[in-house]
Amino acid sequence: MKAITANRLIDGEVVFWKAGAWVEGFGDAQLFGEGQDAEVEAVVANGKAQPTVVVDVYPIDLAPVDGGLAPISYRERIRALGPTNEPTHGKQAVGGEVIEALRHAAGAARSTGRVDLIRRK
Amino acid sequence: MYLYDPIDREFLIDRSNEFRHQVARRLAGELTEDQFKPLRLMNGLYLQLHAYMLRIAIPYGSLNARQARRLAWIARTYDKGYGHFTTRQNIQFNWIKLKDAPDILDALAEVDLHAIQTSGNCIRNVTADPYAGATAEEIDDPRVWSEVLRQWSTLHPEFSFLPRKFKIAITGALTDRAAVKVHDIGLILRKGRDGAIGFEVIVGGGQGRTPYVGPTIRSYLPAEHLLSYVEAILRVYNRHGRRDNIYKARIKILVAALGAEEFARQVEEEWGKIDHARANLPASELARVRAAFAQTRFEALPAVSDAFETARAASPALQRFVRNNVKPHKQPGYAIVEVSLKAIGQTPGDATAEQLEVVADLAERYSLDDLRVTHAQNLVLPHVRLDDLPAVHAALEAAGLATANIDLASDIIACPGLDYCALANARAIPIAQDIARKFADPDRAEKVGELKIKISGCINACGHHHVAHIGILGVDKKGEEFYQLSLGGSGAEDASIGRILGPGLSADKVAPAIDALVDRYLDIRAGDERFLDTYRRVGLEPFKEAVYAQAD
Repeated sequence: MKAITANRLIDGEVVFWKAGAWVEGFGDAQLFGEGQDAEVEAVVANGKAQPTVVVDVYPIDLAPVDGGLAPISYRERIRALGPTNEPTHGKQAVGGEVIEALRHAAGAARSTGRVDLIRRK
Repeated sequence: MYLYDPIDREFLIDRSNEFRHQVARRLAGELTEDQFKPLRLMNGLYLQLHAYMLRIAIPYGSLNARQARRLAWIARTYDKGYGHFTTRQNIQFNWIKLKDAPDILDALAEVDLHAIQTSGNCIRNVTADPYAGATAEEIDDPRVWSEVLRQWSTLHPEFSFLPRKFKIAITGALTDRAAVKVHDIGLILRKGRDGAIGFEVIVGGGQGRTPYVGPTIRSYLPAEHLLSYVEAILRVYNRHGRRDNIYKARIKILVAALGAEEFARQVEEEWGKIDHARANLPASELARVRAAFAQTRFEALPAVSDAFETARAASPALQRFVRNNVKPHKQPGYAIVEVSLKAIGQTPGDATAEQLEVVADLAERYSLDDLRVTHAQNLVLPHVRLDDLPAVHAALEAAGLATANIDLASDIIACPGLDYCALANARAIPIAQDIARKFADPDRAEKVGELKIKISGCINACGHHHVAHIGILGVDKKGEEFYQLSLGGSGAEDASIGRILGPGLSADKVAPAIDALVDRYLDIRAGDERFLDTYRRVGLEPFKEAVYAQAD
């Protein structure tokens, strides 16, 4: 699954594409499945043709998590939430199920950063 | 402190008007993003993850109360009520709207502040010892020379499009609180054999993906030649610095490629071609700048304050604060007071609008209207009378600003990281908060002693992790945050680059690993060794074992 994101020019707000418009909530983003690459490309091209509305238009990869879908990359989850050190700032302030699902999502790394690498004699 | 004259003020207003027109043209579609981006960056405006970020220059980290209050007002009016002090003594606001930026620049210009040259491939804000003009250690006041360099470098036509950004730091003291050895140019004021003043000139230090402790290319440069010599350095760099690869474009790469000796030879050769009388600052102008900093009106006070001694004897909290946050002043009866922006669990370097107003009031009332920002993301009240220390401490305590942890394990430098920054790979702030909580017990923190922990969310190293006693670098592995630890760095006068401890750790394992490192240090330290000293004596292995060995 994919969604398409950008930053709004006038204030820098993170926005997502939804059926002809840019919306602020990740939960409202239009989803693109397998075989919709051409649509994704068309929306990105359309976004790039709106230089006075948005900047940095690009698709993001999503994966299923408990409670819905979330961006695979941590960076995109933070863009969809707001800063984790200030839980009342940014989009996360509205709360709700989508926000909770994003907060608890994990990436695709398999390693958990092993520390037991040296055998004590 | 230095005050702007009418020409400076007119210039700032013109510059702000120019940017207002540029923003209007961008919003109207007359400028493309590619055309506009360098223009907004020249005014310190970045596009970050959630909004625009405005970085405001605080020349050599020095503010007056009026300026600090204006920053508080901007935080409240245009941001979410707080600002973030950076490792280059600047302040950043994280929630700025493009449409508001010209109004903010106007508001800054009214108090002689701006965001010029806080981004772009130019000479950035010159940083200096935050104890300047207050410490007895200093040979000369580095603010004088910082201001000279600031005026010279602002909109310098020859050096506005360098291969890459260029950062200069100055200290007048042997104790290096300005990280001069990891700057593009580091200047240490020295006294010559004839008693005159000069500079040791260090070039090509830096952090980022290729960290270097800069070599000294001239051990003594008579101070009056500063501008011509810096001009010669920048000319050699501007001519030969690489422009084909952004990662190899800083002067440190050129200095390392040529070797310090050859680089120095080229600088001296270039310097020989410069008309020194034209390039150097006239003595009259230097005297004018110097006079602006010589006006600090200290009172003649006894070295010991009965009021302070009485209050201290009665208050363990004040005793702790004095042990950690209060430093000796050159003037009898005065002290330098560090204000920690590292309360346990807080975002390192953040100050709320209310806190900024509290320190502004304290600076005005108790510190000769002088407030400083340190590269460790704390504030300094440089000139507090010992008589006033109990009152200052009480006011700081009421505002949540009296954490007595300067240079202790919870005084952590952290970049904004992935919570805000478009370049970051991992978060830095929550890691700092986790670690600080491990040292929330102030007795334990003091027992551990000086321990400089610094965290960067990416290899650009804004969080100075390379020069930390314990450095932490965030990396991205398939969308998960991992952290690489390094030990043994220092950004002070004993500068060194840290060495990587072992494989990266997941976010939840970082604070326990720091705990393990500190416990091992406490086990093996000899006498009053700092963590850094113990590391330098025993090396990496005992610490590696402490973190990576299997539990019994």
